[in-house]
Amino acid sequence: MRFGALAHALLVLLSVCSAPLFSQTPVGNSRRFSIREQPYQPAERCLPCHRRQYDELNSSVKSGYRNVSPLFNALELAGNFLNGGLLRPVYGDSISRTTTTGEPLTSNIVSTPVFTDVTQVAAGFCIGCHNPHMVLLGEDPEKREVPQLDGVGPDFRPDLIRPLRDYHLVDAGGRQILAIEIGGPPPPGAKPSLGASGITCDVCHNVIAPDLDRSPARDGLANGSLELMPSLSKVGSFRFAAPVKDTFHVSSQDPERIAYLRSSTFCGGCHDVRVPGGGSLTHKEVSRNPPSEGVNLYRLENLSTEWLTGAYNSTNNPFGRVVRCQDCHMSQFPYGGDSTYKVGGIDITSPTPGVFATNFTAVPGISTDLNFPLQKRPVSNHYFTGVDVPILSTEELRARSRPDYPDVHEPGADEHGFPKSLASRREDLLKASVRLSLDTTDDNAKVGDSFMVRLTAVALTGHRFPAGFSQERTAYVELTVKDNRGFLLYQSGYLVDKPHPETGEMEPDGNLSDEDLEHLQVIVDPGRPAPPGEPPQAYQPGHTNQVFALGPDNGPEARIFAGEPNGVVLWRNELTRVFLPGQALGRADDNGEPITVRRPHFEEIFSAGFANSVDNYRTLPPLRPTIYRYAIKLPKKKELEMLGVELEGPLHVRAQVNFLHFPPLFLRFLTRTTSADGPAGHDFHLVDEKLMDDFLVNVKDIANAETIVNLVN
Amino acid sequence: MKTPKPNLLIACCVLGALLSVILLTQDAGFSQSGTQPPAVTREGNPNYLPRNPFYFEGKVDYELLGIDQPADAWEFMQRGIHKQDDLEDYEGAKQDYRAALELNSLQNGTCQIVDSAENLADLDPAPCIFTLRLRLGYLVIHDDPHESVRLFKEVLEIDPMRLEVNFLIAEAYEIAAEEAETEAEKEELYDKAIEAAHAELALTPPVNDPSLSPDEANNAHAHWLLAELYEKQESYDEAIAAFQSYLKATRWHSDVLPWRIPLAEKKIEELAEAKAAQSPARRMVHRGRVR
Repeated sequence: MRFGALAHALLVLLSVCSAPLFSQTPVGNSRRFSIREQPYQPAERCLPCHRRQYDELNSSVKSGYRNVSPLFNALELAGNFLNGGLLRPVYGDSISRTTTTGEPLTSNIVSTPVFTDVTQVAAGFCIGCHNPHMVLLGEDPEKREVPQLDGVGPDFRPDLIRPLRDYHLVDAGGRQILAIEIGGPPPPGAKPSLGASGITCDVCHNVIAPDLDRSPARDGLANGSLELMPSLSKVGSFRFAAPVKDTFHVSSQDPERIAYLRSSTFCGGCHDVRVPGGGSLTHKEVSRNPPSEGVNLYRLENLSTEWLTGAYNSTNNPFGRVVRCQDCHMSQFPYGGDSTYKVGGIDITSPTPGVFATNFTAVPGISTDLNFPLQKRPVSNHYFTGVDVPILSTEELRARSRPDYPDVHEPGADEHGFPKSLASRREDLLKASVRLSLDTTDDNAKVGDSFMVRLTAVALTGHRFPAGFSQERTAYVELTVKDNRGFLLYQSGYLVDKPHPETGEMEPDGNLSDEDLEHLQVIVDPGRPAPPGEPPQAYQPGHTNQVFALGPDNGPEARIFAGEPNGVVLWRNELTRVFLPGQALGRADDNGEPITVRRPHFEEIFSAGFANSVDNYRTLPPLRPTIYRYAIKLPKKKELEMLGVELEGPLHVRAQVNFLHFPPLFLRFLTRTTSADGPAGHDFHLVDEKLMDDFLVNVKDIANAETIVNLVN
Repeated sequence: MKTPKPNLLIACCVLGALLSVILLTQDAGFSQSGTQPPAVTREGNPNYLPRNPFYFEGKVDYELLGIDQPADAWEFMQRGIHKQDDLEDYEGAKQDYRAALELNSLQNGTCQIVDSAENLADLDPAPCIFTLRLRLGYLVIHDDPHESVRLFKEVLEIDPMRLEVNFLIAEAYEIAAEEAETEAEKEELYDKAIEAAHAELALTPPVNDPSLSPDEANNAHAHWLLAELYEKQESYDEAIAAFQSYLKATRWHSDVLPWRIPLAEKKIEELAEAKAAQSPARRMVHRGRVR
């Protein structure tokens, strides 16, 4: 008893004392220190001493895939088509001017010390987080991989812009070489450049502190608000590391810098994304940095804020302690054992976050001066598993990113028990993310009447589910109601194989992973080149909805705006466009006339650049049991007689959660806008139907629940 | 500095191990009701975003808003949504929606219909909220379909292009027709329902471009509703045409109630037979109806 009291007291003390370690209070802009600079190193330089970390990072998407991803490249191009090339970086030697005030524009999203104009945020907006160090290096024209564009705004030439990945190739001597054809295959002898690898060791381990002056809310979150300093001093997750062989680098002893690297705020430097939008009509935010008050933004990726305001950023969660990003994405999770707990009324067994393997942090025998002995300690993994896998062949990944990029389906397990296959790790992580229950569904149903299915869903994530680019990432509930003989009475979250003539799929192809859900029928306008005889700048950017109609599984709109209990449960945030009176929707009415709205009107759109509004509450909130209702209407007796069907009870209700990378309609938009029919007038060789068929895979049944309902007279 | 005694070290290790066990096992006993860290104030709460000029937001997870007592129409609406969706407290939701309507009413001049893109930063009174009217209209559709129609029509005043609203009006008129006291009133309400369903279809006509979309018809549910309404009116030609359009609309999209697809085919056969059996005089009666 006395020991129990003592243990309890110590537990409390431990909890209190451990709090500062995980404190998320940003420490402010850093103290720059004096130590020899060291150029950004390719990950291969770290490999000899950090083999395990290299192998892990090598099979993540953060490093390697992301910058050569056809989707990322196509999306960045589409954004540039829309805003006239403003997303490309500018540098100190630029002669550009802002499109707002006409002031000189000589800094970008990474290099601007304090934002005073939205065009500074736009300049390098995508590459600024995906390759921040390369944007900084670009200040030196000799090291610049991605050039600034010759013409932007009205002078923008869509026919001349190259996809970003075109610039990430070098010859054997390290000199940049470009494919002959814009967007074409790597030329013979080409190798991936430093920029092709994206976020590598040296980006994170050169971090100094949050850069509050560039953080819109001065909280260290969003748009790459990290202070990077390439130097010999690398920060790791602990102090007093052994001396590094030949002083290739030194290990930082700065406790604040170490605490920052270990904190969720560090991840939040990039994993909140706020889009510059001077014309944002909703969810407009103004920077809290006084010089930045004229910079309006809206929240695209809201992941870090979701964590910040969620249960994992508190002790009021199943684990009784703060659960950081690293505790799920850099730990043994989901292979470190399970915990059992309740959320609401639901019994849950799920992987335990914050369990770390014990190992050496560097290779013994070769990594320390004088062969200084290393000790085993808790180590982080560097897989950074999330919801993504490459939508690209292994061969092309190796040609464009790294020659040793592993196959995403590589068999086997690593020394810590993780599957070597990225696809398997992603699927296992998804399976740890959500739980369902149908326990409060009506007990009885009657022919000709309606009964209520009640689905309770809980996200076990530290953020909403799904998160990240959550306006495109798609998780949904597939729900069926069948009678005892298997007669299908209700379906939601179903897919139908159909033609897609807009991208050349003239007949159903037998693949359901490239089909959209049936709540909405949308085709996005890809834009078109300038008419013959007109200059290339006279192109149409597209991005409006060419086709827009509600489908039979219309859950999202009905549930949210009318409160109707029916249709698909879709966990995907929504980009919307508010059209003002007098503006055209971009499609025609029954008579072929352009539709112009008379009153303010908004609808879902699929382009972050075209959006002026966003609804970030459509994903599943974390650790909050959320009930979704389905009012299921059973056929009448006469209708059953006409069908020649006699229902047999009980009814079987089954719900399962599926996950899809991106809505296929979004990929079809990217296909068309980067095709020869798009604004550039030539094909960028990025996305097409074959790519979707080969790599877009619907991950099914990541969680499920079943129940039965009695059929009564 | 004294060296710790070995038995003290052992005791510390044992205590440490026990603490670890306690830390791990305490997870098993955790139970919560879905609470989040409270959002204490509205100012600075990232979930309490600046209101857009037109109240176009949907619902926000209520507990994230930090609303103790609703202070305006939007907050009453959000609490009503919470009651409707999270608590199944439909009466409470209706009360909150009505309280919100009092503060955002065309009738008492506390809201306005925006019909210009000018001066959007300073709209006084505030724009009328459509979500509020849709939600309340849906909740009272069986008890008072006429009030539903009135609320839904206000939504169309706010945004005539809003999808689904005409469909809801059609449903409300259909419910009202079922309760009508006279045949004439019933027929009139069915006609209004048909008119509203057609208005819904007119908002999203098929694109009729095979190089773009294979769809020859959109909005299966509106076609189904129309077919049933025509069937009730014994307007067989129109009912058959509506069921055929339903089949076209479901060809590449199926239906949440998939049994309606074979049923539509059966109904077309049955209606054709009924039409053949219908007297010429009766057919003439239907010619003047809404198409």
